[in-house]
Amino acid sequence: MTVDEKAAPLGVSIPAPPSRLGQTAAAVVVGAVLLASAADLDIDWGEVWSIPGQIQRYGRLMFTDPDWERLPRALFETWRSISMAWLGAILCVVLSIPLGMLAAHGVGPTWLRLTLRAVFAVIRAVPEVIIALLLLTVTGFTPFTGMLALGIAGIGTQAKWVYEAVESIDDGAPEAVVAAGGAIAELARWALWPAVAPALTSFALYRFEINIRTSAVLGLIGAGGIGSMLTNYTNFRQWNTVGMLLVVVITATMIIDATSGRIRRRIMEGAKQ
Amino acid sequence: MTDQHEVGPGSDVSGPTSWSIHLNDVSVTYPNGTTALRNVSLDIPAGEMVSIVGLSGSGKSTLIRVMNGLVPVTTGTVAVGPHEVTHLRGRQLRQLRGHIGMIFQGFNLAERTSVFRNVMVGRFADTPTYRTLLGVSSERDRDLVFAGLDSVGMLDKVWTRASDLSGGQKQRVAIARALAQGPSVMLADEPVASLDPPTAHSVMNDLRHINGERGLTVLVNLHLIDLAQQYTTRMIGLRAGEIVFDGPAAEATESNFEHIYGRPIKSNDKLAN
Amino acid sequence: MTDTAPTVWELPPKPTNRARIALIIGAIATFTTLTCLPAIGGVELDFASLVDNWRNGARLGREFIQPDLSFLPRTYRPMLETLQMAVVGAGVAAVLSVPLTLWAARQTNPRLATRQPVRFTINVVRAVPDLVYATVLVAVIGVGPLPGLITLILFDIGIVVKLVSEAIDAGEHPYMEAGMAAGGTQVQVNRGVVLAQSWPFFTNQWLYVLELNVRISAILGVVGAGGIGRLISERRAFFAYDDVGAIVFEILVVVIVIELFSNLVRRRLT
Repeated sequence: MTVDEKAAPLGVSIPAPPSRLGQTAAAVVVGAVLLASAADLDIDWGEVWSIPGQIQRYGRLMFTDPDWERLPRALFETWRSISMAWLGAILCVVLSIPLGMLAAHGVGPTWLRLTLRAVFAVIRAVPEVIIALLLLTVTGFTPFTGMLALGIAGIGTQAKWVYEAVESIDDGAPEAVVAAGGAIAELARWALWPAVAPALTSFALYRFEINIRTSAVLGLIGAGGIGSMLTNYTNFRQWNTVGMLLVVVITATMIIDATSGRIRRRIMEGAKQ
Repeated sequence: MTDQHEVGPGSDVSGPTSWSIHLNDVSVTYPNGTTALRNVSLDIPAGEMVSIVGLSGSGKSTLIRVMNGLVPVTTGTVAVGPHEVTHLRGRQLRQLRGHIGMIFQGFNLAERTSVFRNVMVGRFADTPTYRTLLGVSSERDRDLVFAGLDSVGMLDKVWTRASDLSGGQKQRVAIARALAQGPSVMLADEPVASLDPPTAHSVMNDLRHINGERGLTVLVNLHLIDLAQQYTTRMIGLRAGEIVFDGPAAEATESNFEHIYGRPIKSNDKLAN
Repeated sequence: MTDTAPTVWELPPKPTNRARIALIIGAIATFTTLTCLPAIGGVELDFASLVDNWRNGARLGREFIQPDLSFLPRTYRPMLETLQMAVVGAGVAAVLSVPLTLWAARQTNPRLATRQPVRFTINVVRAVPDLVYATVLVAVIGVGPLPGLITLILFDIGIVVKLVSEAIDAGEHPYMEAGMAAGGTQVQVNRGVVLAQSWPFFTNQWLYVLELNVRISAILGVVGAGGIGRLISERRAFFAYDDVGAIVFEILVVVIVIELFSNLVRRRLT
């Protein structure tokens, strides 16, 4: 197979390109579903072109002269949202670590593992807002409700991360503990915990970052915090206050993301060494 | 994105001319402070088959990359054919690179896509960007791709996914990619270091044929001294960024190699031990 | 090289991180305490209300888990709207995410001056929670699926661009050097090979945001942005929790079906 053994002249021996029928068909189906969905939506597509203008107009109303006089109140409400997010994250992590560990392969019995995983899947599928709506009847329109909703709604995903992390660790350490005659609690404490602690700490911080966003959402249905303030002033159409609130939300979220992200990276890098 | 299709020397791929290479007092210091080349001057006439031999870290990779401007020189000048590489920027530099084929130790193929699309990369310099964006290729580009594959005996694999090829086949596809450029110079950076001995010999054979039949100037980085002696006519020894040997490859003695490597020759400095 | 076996172990100095651990625990404790002070905005931990009112929740929960399934036919049309919003939102975001991602990744856009603005914008877009977009857009554009759709598109772009550009930057792309060496422009290399190579990252995230969209668009209606959420807030206002239960049950089924579907597609693609 060197260059001497020239193949037949070009144009004769070029293999036929493979059939792309499957790909083309898939693309056509996806495109058709998209177009049909778009056409059936109750949207006047001709109106879409006016949206950039609209957004510009309202953007000017919001941001040319933000209402900084209400900033102290906004910061108070921001702290309320952060508090909900933080306490919700603690609640969520405290509940999901033991539950998640029990749901991991080779820790608890099979029936327990399957039941727990089903519960997690259901919680994942229910939106936080729905859980908050249920809790409202018990604890009222309070930040406490928001915190509980965040804590419970997060379990579905958080516990899944926990059992996935536990299952991804090397089998050596758990075996050593089992060989030494350890019980489940000892197994968890001496073999699982050291191996997964950095990942779990990182996940916990990540839960906090997620909760920061969700807490603003819960505020919209009356759980208090910056989200509630934002809904109120949007309903009052006080655009310059809305603009200020948006600036506060974006700044606070970005600062927390950056800080928490940096800590997470340090934890994970520390774990690698 | 307004690159125009230029009908200049670049598109004259039917009968590539061979180019000479001149380095005048070239030094390269990387931003991290490492000096890779020190005052290297070199004249390579058109149509020569040259090997560059040295330990890893001796500056071989840098030397080959200053020739197509992948590594900018710190001081000195590099001339390839009628072009002063050190003066070229932007589109002119890309046009020059279009005349210089290059193959790599790791083959540098996009594994998840077809051989055809990988070889089409060789046509970039002569393809307007909008054409690449739309994903349409001209008849002529396709012919050049097929011709490139045909001359390394890989035409039957044109629609295969690159990841499904063996190492030797991948390097042949990489050679076809370089040939599709219609190059005037061929650079090879450790082309056989990732291959088993029989495959290594056949790839070196392909390079020798490219030199012999097309009359192209070929530069090959090697760390195996027997391959350098067997396949190339002139050998350049590089040690710590300086040229310490330059002469006919066949006449190089054991002590020449010990001088280049700065240590006694070991069995793994040769392919056939 | 000593001749006697040491009786006292010459241990390297034990790293003293006790002070650091105390510091970290102290910081966490302080932060937690501050979040529990209602005076400065913290949460009032009102466990008493749990004890007092748990019956409310239990009664409601009972209604909730005995959903009135005869209500379901009325939900089909809004649920279809929710699904349509989810699909169109993910589709539009998928198309827009490709150039933005290649623009935002270091390896596919080495120029800081053009990369940084995109990254910053994406971070800002990501910092706004989905329902906040929906609330403001409903106020600006008016009630209907359009503000919901725009919300989903913005939300999806934020996720896809961030995750895929990070995945691209984390990988090695030797074929890019070959493309540059052959005289290609960055755009040609990105379109010609990087895109084909990064396709699995993209499809994975597109499917992921499709799943998320179904979940989010189910509640967008609560603020008037179209879909089945409108029905949820309506039934809740009438305290018809058995109807709400039926809707949530329906959402659950749809979400699980979408997840199964996207797992199937993922397996086909890899």
